[in-house]
Amino acid sequence: MKLFFSFVCTLSIVSACAMPSANTGKYDVIYSMDEVVHEKTAAEQEEQITIAVIPKVANIPYFNAAEEGAIEAAEDLGINLLYEGPAFADAAQQILIIEKLIEEEVDAIAVSANDPEELAPVLLEAKEKGISVVTWDSDTIPEARDFFINMVDPETLGRHLMDTLAWNTDEKGEFAVLTGALSAANLNTWLHWIKVHQKEHYPDMTLVEVSANDDNSQRAYASAKKLLKKYPGLKGIIGNSSVGPPAAARAVKELGKEGEVAVVGLSSPNPMNEYLKDGSAQIITLWSPKKLGYLTVALTNNAVNGIEPFDWQDIAKVGKIRMINNMVIMGDPMDFTKENVDQYDF
Amino acid sequence: MISKLMKFKNYRLRTKLIVTYVLLTVIPISLLGYIAYSQYTKSIEEQVGEYIPKLLEQANENIANQIRELRKFPDLLYNSDEVVEVLRKDAHQSRSSLLQDEFTVNSYLSRTFINGGSQDILGVFVISKNRIFQSTKIPHTNFGLMDYSQSYGQDIQLKTDDIFVLPHQTSLRFEGNPPFVLIMKQLTDLENRTDLGTVLIAVNVTFFEDVINEMSEEGKADLWMMNKEGRVIYHTNPSKIRTIDREFAMYPQINGSFRTTQEDASRLISLNHMDETGWTLAHSVLAGNLTEQTDLVRNATIAVFLVFVAMSTVISILLAWNVSSPLNRLTSVMKRVEKGDFDVDLAIGTTDEVGMLANNFNSMVTEIKDLIRENYQIELKQKEAELYALQSQINPHFMYNTLETIAMSVEDDEKDTVIEMVTLLGRMLRFSIGNKEALVPIADELLHVKDYLTIQKIRFEEKFDFSIQEKIESQNYYTPKFVLQPIVENAVKHGLAYGRVTTIEIGVCLVPGNEGSEEIAFKVKDNGSGIKKETLADIQRTLASDPMAKRDSHFGLSNVHARIAMNFGSGFGLDIISGVDQGTEVEIRIPVLKNGSEGGCHELKEN
Repeated sequence: MKLFFSFVCTLSIVSACAMPSANTGKYDVIYSMDEVVHEKTAAEQEEQITIAVIPKVANIPYFNAAEEGAIEAAEDLGINLLYEGPAFADAAQQILIIEKLIEEEVDAIAVSANDPEELAPVLLEAKEKGISVVTWDSDTIPEARDFFINMVDPETLGRHLMDTLAWNTDEKGEFAVLTGALSAANLNTWLHWIKVHQKEHYPDMTLVEVSANDDNSQRAYASAKKLLKKYPGLKGIIGNSSVGPPAAARAVKELGKEGEVAVVGLSSPNPMNEYLKDGSAQIITLWSPKKLGYLTVALTNNAVNGIEPFDWQDIAKVGKIRMINNMVIMGDPMDFTKENVDQYDF
Repeated sequence: MISKLMKFKNYRLRTKLIVTYVLLTVIPISLLGYIAYSQYTKSIEEQVGEYIPKLLEQANENIANQIRELRKFPDLLYNSDEVVEVLRKDAHQSRSSLLQDEFTVNSYLSRTFINGGSQDILGVFVISKNRIFQSTKIPHTNFGLMDYSQSYGQDIQLKTDDIFVLPHQTSLRFEGNPPFVLIMKQLTDLENRTDLGTVLIAVNVTFFEDVINEMSEEGKADLWMMNKEGRVIYHTNPSKIRTIDREFAMYPQINGSFRTTQEDASRLISLNHMDETGWTLAHSVLAGNLTEQTDLVRNATIAVFLVFVAMSTVISILLAWNVSSPLNRLTSVMKRVEKGDFDVDLAIGTTDEVGMLANNFNSMVTEIKDLIRENYQIELKQKEAELYALQSQINPHFMYNTLETIAMSVEDDEKDTVIEMVTLLGRMLRFSIGNKEALVPIADELLHVKDYLTIQKIRFEEKFDFSIQEKIESQNYYTPKFVLQPIVENAVKHGLAYGRVTTIEIGVCLVPGNEGSEEIAFKVKDNGSGIKKETLADIQRTLASDPMAKRDSHFGLSNVHARIAMNFGSGFGLDIISGVDQGTEVEIRIPVLKNGSEGGCHELKEN
């Protein structure tokens, strides 16, 4: 009994020492590298980003398709999108629009510039106000924006356009180029590479004229007709901007010159569907303006959130992009012919 | 508690000592052992707790890399214009062209994913506009349109880029039941910005196994991967796949490790969160397994502890016994002393406090014994004085009878007889008066008895006779005074019988003693009626018992015996031989007492 009593005493003393560690809750953290941070808090999500996307000109199929893509991206990413473009491809009108957007305190502006120089001051002003500025489709001077979202590598595109014409003219004869605004940087770069490629590979071909139309369909049509009349031996027309090929094809068709004059260039498949099928146009080249619109919004949103694009970045629902010297390249150009034109809807 | 303390205070000294010793050794050793062991265990747990999350992070990184790779696979579909063209078409076509499309896509899927893709791909399914294209590595069951929210006749629209469909979310099963997840990705027509359909790639998650099993250390630990809801995607125990870890929501949200108790066992759980998928890799190990190696240390400690406790208990018992046993012996010896036995010796061979106590006790008992002896001697002297007072008197009866006899003789005018009797009586009285000396020559004592017997013979005439035989030089030997007279008186008193002559024979001789020396023996023999057996036994018992005890009967005999025994030791005294009608013989033994220096070994203790 006494021994038992003394044992109980001993045990209780020993176990009293053991108690504190056992009493500190069900989970006794031994080591922690870091806390697991789950999703952003609700407060952060509520602050909706507003992104303004400005095309060169409103209401042409190409930029309408781009708008569709932009809207899709805005829905996917949950941001507020303003898509507003001038009635004509005019830098001055774009400046007005941008000034208005600065006042509205948008978070970011993505612009397809009609003039690289003229837009620079207003874009710099926007940047000063803390607005992210990117360019897409057509660039400004590099100082005025964070980065430029290009559809294709201009060299690749320019050389490819020249190739598509050469395939359809047996690499010889005269040809003309229908371009948009003479001031548009992207068109001029492509034009440059068209000329370089022709000189390097197709000495038997001659560029007779470059006709500008400021992305106006009526003017483009008129120019095409004029060219066909002015140069009766004309073998082909390259539409350097998206209004060019439909106008050229229509002119060729109306003058009954299908097969004689090859029509190639940059245009959307929808307006060219008929011309490709009836032979008034042979190959048109483009990228998906919807995809471009989507990518523009996605990358601009990233920029607002502080994520700069990088080479081989994988953008959801777009794919991998390249990044060369502050210029994003969306992908390779696509060719549309009468065989595959039905697959595309833009 | 206080009452317990009081109780403890009253415990035996041995118990107290043992309890104290045991507590003094057991408590410090057990505390020390416990603290050392728990600290050791804790430090091991901390080390492992730090080490495993790092391993998990590494494993997670490997898995995330694999998943990143796998996530690229759906995009391979975009590489084929043919496939994209088929997917762009709607289902409203002729049967043959539908089948042709199916062939095109299925063969592309086989080529790209099954034959050319990763080892881990079990199968690919493409759902597009109510068509299913598929190619699998092993047979499967239960994959149907109904599974994938096609019940409304619409294609799936995923909000996010891709999602993982976990095994519990699908009824799809592959042969052999390998663990798998489905990577489900929306196929978007990148150019037209429309939905093409959905691709589902079934991926065998055994690649988790490779990464995870590296860590699981032969099944000692459980590892599992679970999603945000705690649904188990992969587990080292296959039966747990698809179950839910119910405690997941309660786990601390950390990349790290913690200790918890599950199913009554202490476990160390480590977690690492994978940002890539939102999954969490968990590692759970029994704390007992971690400390398996330390168990040896613990067991050794316990063994040493037990040995120490046993040793200290034995030592404490020995020590306590060492202290308490002499005390116990002291107690029992004291009890004996208390009961009057002073012939005790408390032999404790040590010189410590207990030994000193024992020595002191011994000397105290000796002292007490001496004191008692002294008192006893005083009492003895008083008794003797009383005896002398008694003995020095001539029995009044005898006196009366003698004087009566003298008176009758005077009447009969027997002058000579009167003169003789008066002379004898006078000499007896004189012997009685001269009682200053304790020892007298045997001749004097015999003369005194002879006088007494002569008077009795005159009185009883022919009915009485006596003889005295001296076989020694009775003048040279001494005897205590009055040893013979009471015996002879007794013999006369009990020996007289009517109708016959009573004869009393008295003899003095030297007999060999017990120790080889000689002793003097007086023999008084009568031819009376003797003593009954019972009475004789009674008398002998009385003689053998304490000579100092008071007694009423047999005063004469016992008085003589006591005086001799007291003066010369128990070897001397009276011896009675008797039987009914056989007479009585009383033998008195005393040591040889001689006159002067040649008086022998025995000196009468002088009063």
